Amino acid sequence: MDRLEADFCVVGAGAGGAVVAAELAEGGARVLVLEQGPQHDPDSFTARPPEMLGRLYRDGCQTATVGSPPILLPLGRGVGGTTLVNSGTCFRTPPHVLERWAEEFGLELDEATLAPCFERVEQALSVAEVTPELAGANAEVARRGAERLGWSHGYLRRNARGCVGSGVCVFGCPTSAKQHTGITYIPRATAAGAQIVTGADVQQIIVEGGRARGVSARLADGRRLEVRAPEVVVACGTIHTPLLLERSGLGGACGQRGGNLALHPATSAFALMDEDVDMARGVPQSVYIDEFASDGFMFEGAAGPPAYAAMVLPLTGERHTRAMADYRRLAQFGLMVSDESRGRVHAVAGRAVIRYDLCDRDLAKFRAGLLRMRELFLAAGAREVYLPLAPGARPESARPRDLKLMAFHPLGTARADARATHGVTDGDLAVHGTLGVHVADGSVVPSALGVNPQLTIMALATRLAFGLLGRAVSSAPAPAGAHTSANGRAS
Amino acid sequence: MSDGLDTFLAAAPWPQRAGLRLLVALVRRPRGAALLARAPLVEQAAWSTLTLGRYDDPAVGRALGWDAAAVVERGRALRRAEGRP
Repeated sequence: MDRLEADFCVVGAGAGGAVVAAELAEGGARVLVLEQGPQHDPDSFTARPPEMLGRLYRDGCQTATVGSPPILLPLGRGVGGTTLVNSGTCFRTPPHVLERWAEEFGLELDEATLAPCFERVEQALSVAEVTPELAGANAEVARRGAERLGWSHGYLRRNARGCVGSGVCVFGCPTSAKQHTGITYIPRATAAGAQIVTGADVQQIIVEGGRARGVSARLADGRRLEVRAPEVVVACGTIHTPLLLERSGLGGACGQRGGNLALHPATSAFALMDEDVDMARGVPQSVYIDEFASDGFMFEGAAGPPAYAAMVLPLTGERHTRAMADYRRLAQFGLMVSDESRGRVHAVAGRAVIRYDLCDRDLAKFRAGLLRMRELFLAAGAREVYLPLAPGARPESARPRDLKLMAFHPLGTARADARATHGVTDGDLAVHGTLGVHVADGSVVPSALGVNPQLTIMALATRLAFGLLGRAVSSAPAPAGAHTSANGRAS
Repeated sequence: MSDGLDTFLAAAPWPQRAGLRLLVALVRRPRGAALLARAPLVEQAAWSTLTLGRYDDPAVGRALGWDAAAVVERGRALRRAEGRP
């Protein structure tokens, strides 16, 4: 058995783990990061969807929920985690969500408290608004529709630097323009002395006398590794963090471990336009429409190469073939629901089983959202609109099983709540009832956000790291080389 | 089946892998396709997987205005020119 020692052992190198590791290491701590997946080499990115889905995603992008309807849940695997394969969209936590967290979960996380955390993250990730030139014609279709209907909309803010609109954010950015944590925070962590071990499958958190002593892991070559560390930060992601806590006998007293799962279920529609759209030219997710955010749904861009479009296009047979023959004139846009449905994750034979059923209120949001989606495309001048429904189903009467859904934002399975009887973690993201175990990923987020969560997760991770160091969060620039000016170019 | 689709299927857990391979085999045959048409969501899964491989063919992509190799080449050149990771 191999043995290593550190002040902090961080399990996972995604949105939360990478941020915690870098901030702790730069703060002078000895940090060891254990990542289950590999370090991906951007030279191996091919911009070809099936191959990249198989290599960059957990389970080859075949993770799905069990329930009505089944929902595909793409999760990244490797250094960078899901930030490697997401669209790069950056939203701060909406203020009304923070207010709800204070009232319902006793979390002292107001805008002012989190502002320096967000500033620090946004600077590290070069977050800036997409320019109209980079957004591409697919975004222009949606923007035109929203303009004509008078709907609130805008260009999204993203973590990209020197982006040229390759159109394959979710299949591995070939230009390394997307500032995922594998090329931002992880290099900062290693430069500050942190050690990263890939291919390390953490089996258990070692707890003695009510306090963390480290973790045990199995390496890719079958060897066992034991890490001795008085502080463990769990950042395996919303699906796998509760399973590690369960294997370790931690966080279960409140009955919430693995529960409270929110997903932001989503879908997308296509439209046949008169003009060439060439949807894969430009930033796939570059425009949002938030006119209906208070009704619980929002529209965001979606697009990709022909193989991706063929996979997602909600048609079969001859209709599919005909629509794909017009690929260059196809536009696509996404619909995301801020869900009230709640699911649960548990382990069966060591694998995650994710149970999630769409509740009636969320079904109503999808019905309304699909009707609005058709309205949007028709206003933009679409000849035909292809909604993601089973043949013969209509939006206004769609049943859960008629919907073709995916979800990109799992949250809440180790939710933070100031009360030990209601949450797995407390307001400082420490696991209730055990010393020295903290959580830094989407699992602590106690409710659906209604917006993409990566910035929220990173801001919470920043706050956690500074808390562990016993320092106030500084919004001062991170080390040289990690910064850009507002236009996304190195300063 | 394309190499890319093989990579995609090989990475899936065995139940999904076996299921998708079966669906792709069925949807390629007229009688299998007719059978799948009775279960729309299953038929959609079969078509999604089949066409993910079909439209990944570089020649098919180029005919639709998409050249993956050119996108990758441009990306690599930019990374090297600007010293990106």
